[in-house]
Amino acid sequence: MEFTKLFTQTEADRVHEASLEILENVGMLVRNEKALSIFSANGCRVDMETKMVRFPREVVEKAIKTFVPNYTFTAQDPKFDVTMPGDRPIVVTGSSAPNVIDPKTGEERRATSTDIANIAYLINELPGFDVFSISTLADDAPEGQFSMSRFYPALKNCKKPVRSNTPNMEDLKKVLELGILVAGSEEAYRKRPFINHHYCPVVSPLTFDVESTEAVMYLTEQGLPVYGTIVPNAGMTSPLSLMGTLTLGNAEFLGLSTLIQMIRPGAPMIYAVLSTVADMRTGAYAPGAIETGMLQMGHTEMARFYNVPSGGYIGLTNAHSNDAQSGYETGMNTTAALLAGADLFNMGGLLGSLMAFDFGKAVIDNEIALMLKRMKKGFEYSEENLCLDLIGKIGPGGSYMDTEHTLKNMRSIAVLPKVATREMRRRWEDQGRPDAHSRAMKEVNKILIKPNKSRFTEELDAKVRGHFPGLVAGDVDWHL
Amino acid sequence: MSVQAIYDAVVEFDIGKVIDLVKAEVESGTNVSVILSDGLIGAMDEVGRRYTEGEFFVPEMLMAAKAMKAGLEVLKPLLSKGENIKKGTIIIGTVKGDLHDIGKNLVSMMMEGAGFEVIDLGVDVDTEKFLATAKEKNADIICMSALLTTTMPFMEVTIKSIREQGLKFKTMVGGAPVSEDFATKIGADGWSPDAPGAVETARRLTAR
Repeated sequence: MEFTKLFTQTEADRVHEASLEILENVGMLVRNEKALSIFSANGCRVDMETKMVRFPREVVEKAIKTFVPNYTFTAQDPKFDVTMPGDRPIVVTGSSAPNVIDPKTGEERRATSTDIANIAYLINELPGFDVFSISTLADDAPEGQFSMSRFYPALKNCKKPVRSNTPNMEDLKKVLELGILVAGSEEAYRKRPFINHHYCPVVSPLTFDVESTEAVMYLTEQGLPVYGTIVPNAGMTSPLSLMGTLTLGNAEFLGLSTLIQMIRPGAPMIYAVLSTVADMRTGAYAPGAIETGMLQMGHTEMARFYNVPSGGYIGLTNAHSNDAQSGYETGMNTTAALLAGADLFNMGGLLGSLMAFDFGKAVIDNEIALMLKRMKKGFEYSEENLCLDLIGKIGPGGSYMDTEHTLKNMRSIAVLPKVATREMRRRWEDQGRPDAHSRAMKEVNKILIKPNKSRFTEELDAKVRGHFPGLVAGDVDWHL
Repeated sequence: MSVQAIYDAVVEFDIGKVIDLVKAEVESGTNVSVILSDGLIGAMDEVGRRYTEGEFFVPEMLMAAKAMKAGLEVLKPLLSKGENIKKGTIIIGTVKGDLHDIGKNLVSMMMEGAGFEVIDLGVDVDTEKFLATAKEKNADIICMSALLTTTMPFMEVTIKSIREQGLKFKTMVGGAPVSEDFATKIGADGWSPDAPGAVETARRLTAR
């Protein structure tokens, strides 16, 4: 499959050059002291007073030389390991929403650790999703267990790679302790680190924060999986032109990557973004806008320029219910990103620009994910697939329905959706005219009423609960 | 006549023109209060109306507020002590640990546009700094913003301190994850889902 190209080689070169100019002449404000000294020790011009860092081009170019083209998400169960770019598109749930749409009442409320357990099990079972990024926060978290109340129910109920962030180093270290406990030993965990860490250490424009930067540096030193997302917002924190925002975001990616490569040359990274255009009528945040997809396409092309995996939060929606807007915003933006060759899609399950998880939305996004994967598989060009012999055999006027060839391909050529309806109107009316959301909720129910076979064993669970007293229950609890 | 020109220049956000016109008007002997109320403040009311109608976008409103402020700077030394030109004093910042300031900046600019005196403490502001500044400036409202769900608890810390110290400052909270329920739970006096609403809430809280 050939990917969509937006820029000529000269134009892409210019975006790169312009990014280097920004880093060299404007520089970045680095609030983290340790990052300042790393930049200073590795050839950047650092003003310790103002915390401004300027990047000579050869420093950035040296970092680019050690970029690697792959990134692997390791899972508790090795059959769920995925590597970019080979396994692309890798579809990930959207993460860290404070709220959930209550599956029973349809009302928005604060999410809990039980919601996380339910969501973890659902994502484990939905084949379109490759990585479970912990979708919500847990409002019921006991004091001091903010992150444990998220990672424990997630790991307990989902064997796919789990991804999320932590607010500070203390929480991060506790989460790693949990990982080691689940793996059986530190050695086993380091061999197969099934927790992937994600942060937004760069606050646009051109600023490194303190805590997230600290976590990224620590995990990079440790050789554990971590990557950052670059999040410029055109009109607010970046210029109100797509080229300006692409270039500023590209410079910020290079700034972050330079730090990572200084710490550990060859550390795997993802060129991940959530570049958006603000709605100038109100200043509203608009991740569902079509420009988000366009910017993702541009960044993906630049990622190819550097030969690193690309992606980001693509396929989000501003819609507050699982409706047509939710579907077209997710559908159009992810399709655009896929055609440009993006590897990673942080897209599943969230409404209201990352504010609330909706179970039905997750099931519909699963279908969108399967469609994206279908598109990526493409036409599978081959002499055999031209089917010339078969066309000759059936001849004009015949039917292909009852051939061996059709029988062989009927379960694999087309996506067979569970939510999208293909029945005649009368049958649909007889079923009570269910819309896509209610059909999706039916699928959720079908999955979640069954016991979770992927749950921790009782033995492992007892070990974890013994080690961390006062943990939330972290079990699936589902009844509509 | 020329007061109308000042009004027009604010609505057209022409900063240079506003300054020149206000100076000229003062020299020609027009009452300073008239320039203020009919020229500058009247124009901002019109800007507010156009914004509400969807005719003006946020950048236009912000530019108009800048033009109004420039004119106000010319008038300030001439206003008599009793003349109350500001609606109230606002202390604003993102809470400790949070560097995300887009929303806070928008609120800050819109509050200024609406005639409040705004002291913007920037990002990563702790309770001590909020309270010390509020005391120093004799503020009416402390506005706290958070984007990260992990930093929201610091809002409650500040509100508790205000109560414990028996201070009279009103509090407002906002930011994407901050809900009305949360605001009520932590005892904030005001909350708004967006920046224009924050201005309305501030007006309500400072109404005398």
